[in-house]
Amino acid sequence: MTEAAIRTEGLSKFYGSVRALNDLSMEVTAGEVFGFLGPNGAGKTTTIRLLLGLIRPSAGKAEIFGLDSCSEPVEAHRRLSYVPAEAGLWPSLTGEETLHLLGKVNGHVDEVYRDQLVKRFELDSSRKIRAYSRGNRQKVILIAALMSRPDLMIFDEPTSGLDPLMEHEFRNCVSEARQRGQTVFLSSHILSEVEALCDRVAILRNGRLVEIGTLEEMRHLSALKMEITFAKDIPDLSAVPGVATLQSAGRTVSLQLTGPVKPLLEALAASEITELVSREPSLEELFLSLYGEGQLPKASGAHA
Amino acid sequence: MARRTLLGVLPSAVLWGVVFGLFVASSALSYAGIYKTQADRDSLAAAFGANVSTSALFGPAPQLQTVAGFTVFKIWLTVALIGGIWGLMASTKLLRGDEDSGRWELLLSGATTREQATFQVLLGLLGGTVALWIATAALAVATGRSPEFNVAVRPALYLALSLATTAFMFMGVGAFTSQLGAARRQAAAYGGWILGISYALRMVADSGTGLHWLIWTSPLGWVEMLQPLTSPKPISLLPIFGFTCLLGYLSVVLAGRRDVGASLIQERSRSGPRLLLLSGHMGLAVRMLRPVIASWGTAVAAVGVLLGYIAYAAGETLSKSSMQTIYARLGASGAGIKAFLGVSFLMLAVMLSFVAVGQLTAVRAEEADQRLDQFLARPVTRIGWLAGRLAIAVSFLAALGILSGVMAWLGVAIESSAVSLPTLLAAGLNIAAPAVCILGISTLVFGFLPRATAIVGYGLVSWSLLVEFVGGIGALNHWIFDTSLFHQMNAAPAIGPNITSDSWMAAIGVAAALAGCILFARRDIQGG
Repeated sequence: MTEAAIRTEGLSKFYGSVRALNDLSMEVTAGEVFGFLGPNGAGKTTTIRLLLGLIRPSAGKAEIFGLDSCSEPVEAHRRLSYVPAEAGLWPSLTGEETLHLLGKVNGHVDEVYRDQLVKRFELDSSRKIRAYSRGNRQKVILIAALMSRPDLMIFDEPTSGLDPLMEHEFRNCVSEARQRGQTVFLSSHILSEVEALCDRVAILRNGRLVEIGTLEEMRHLSALKMEITFAKDIPDLSAVPGVATLQSAGRTVSLQLTGPVKPLLEALAASEITELVSREPSLEELFLSLYGEGQLPKASGAHA
Repeated sequence: MARRTLLGVLPSAVLWGVVFGLFVASSALSYAGIYKTQADRDSLAAAFGANVSTSALFGPAPQLQTVAGFTVFKIWLTVALIGGIWGLMASTKLLRGDEDSGRWELLLSGATTREQATFQVLLGLLGGTVALWIATAALAVATGRSPEFNVAVRPALYLALSLATTAFMFMGVGAFTSQLGAARRQAAAYGGWILGISYALRMVADSGTGLHWLIWTSPLGWVEMLQPLTSPKPISLLPIFGFTCLLGYLSVVLAGRRDVGASLIQERSRSGPRLLLLSGHMGLAVRMLRPVIASWGTAVAAVGVLLGYIAYAAGETLSKSSMQTIYARLGASGAGIKAFLGVSFLMLAVMLSFVAVGQLTAVRAEEADQRLDQFLARPVTRIGWLAGRLAIAVSFLAALGILSGVMAWLGVAIESSAVSLPTLLAAGLNIAAPAVCILGISTLVFGFLPRATAIVGYGLVSWSLLVEFVGGIGALNHWIFDTSLFHQMNAAPAIGPNITSDSWMAAIGVAAALAGCILFARRDIQGG
């Protein structure tokens, strides 16, 4: 049986009447790269701070490799590293001094890998934190998290402030971590990043888990996008089950299809078609379909 | 922006204005109660009026036989120093502090320039000073109506103005040093040095060594020369306003000429690795504390040696004066050098208590700025982290206590061998007891109400100081007097330290700190 790197059961956090996180139950398997999505205020950072034991749950519990986040935080933290969206660091220390300090606190550092990371992220580690740009401060904290090669890495918007080249480097590091069997919990707004890296994705909304699964599993939630070009007259497809948002331009029709394809194919059988393009929704389209139109999927699939 | 600044600074301005007004009222009204006859008053004036040592330390005392003269002598320096520190902290916070945090950039992205924004903040700060003056003046005028004080409205307003001027000047100093230092801490440190040098120059000028002209080189000297209620010299307002306006002008010009976030005194942006002490959170805390240790160590050593040096002469005159009544109320019974040192160590006790609260304020800042997350997301326990910080703080307080005793002994040894080193070492450790108690209580507050740590800690020190100040001149009953932590320690070396009382204070401090640690371990980490 595969070990769970992260497990939450009914995890909730209330601030007075505000439910920042409500009844979150999920499991992240050791060795997987797990994406954590949601709009601002959905409860992503609250979840991460609960996992780290920085805040106390109002109900439920969180475990890291079977260790309770609240009662056994030190043992749990020996196996993880954390990158916040914006790191609080010590302005008078240099990058090198900061990495040395955080390595000592961690207790174990792969020094060769650390030096490689400094080069790969093009960090001038002799500069003081005060003199760094936001992106460079983020590099320091990313290197500090990666250099100890922990079993679990928790990233909260890790690439905020990084340029595209460094974002690419970060993706390489995550891919390497996956190959080594490390677990990655990635909360991000950059959907292409999540799509490129993650094995599974969870989506939060208003403190509730609304969807969890692989991208393939989640794509069924969104409509298939189709463009059909006809040689002659365009048939009436408005009554076909599952077809929506019909638009036509000349002899080309754009539509979205949810559910089985068979009724549409039957409706098209009598027509002469010159081109038919069909594609699955991207994660961004999936995300927008969940939030942009205010739809809330059923929670039936929300427990892994 | 001026309005926003004014709103930010108004509560503390009014609070300190009221405190300054209470100083005036308590000092004036209690004088009449203690020195009932003209003979008592003449005796006081004869003892301290021409005493060079007290003049150097507290300023000249030209008319101690009058309520007005005594009141000014008694309060002006305390108010000047508190006002100066407040003004410095307020302006560095609203200028360099906002720039540090990035808020300045947001403000400057609006329809304003760096010069305009700085000018607007200075206007808001000026409004804060006016509020402080009004609050002080209201109480001074009201006190002036009492038959004991009997001061007309205009002199009372002038008195309040003289008490507000240091705050006004050091707001200007803070605005200027905010252009010099790259961080608020640096800007405040530069301003602190200006305040310290200003005090030292004034002290030399009043030391009877023929260098009285130096008084005109010191901002605190200008304030001293205002001489409200005794022989007013409004002409001294000219250098005060001129100096402040010059600093304000320079601040506006310099703010316009430098980049946002930059400073005139450039810090080295890179350096070779210095890994000493960077082996864990405690080592880092010690490393970060080094400038604080150096500053407070210098201040405590200087005050200690100075008090020791003047103790012999002051003790001699004290033996012959009715000030013994006041000293006795402060716990320094007896006469002579030890009685003087007994009360003088109170000043050092206040300094140590401010150090104690400062330590907890720094702990809270680590949490608010999310630097603490870096440790707590690693294998570091909350209790271990906080207990480490407290251990460092207690060691620091004990070291400062010992340092004050040694330096006071060195000062005394120049003139006399009347007080031994072990006696003064015991006096030094004695003043650490209330500081440890305040440290523990501040930790308790940090444990369950972290955002209130600074206000409760500094409030407790201020309350204890105010009660001690007012109680010392006979204006309070003993129930209120007993609420002052400084009143709970014996005025060593006037009398020996009260081990029981000191142990109780330390025990309360330790118990409160333990409770604070436990509460901290159970609460949410709260950002700023």
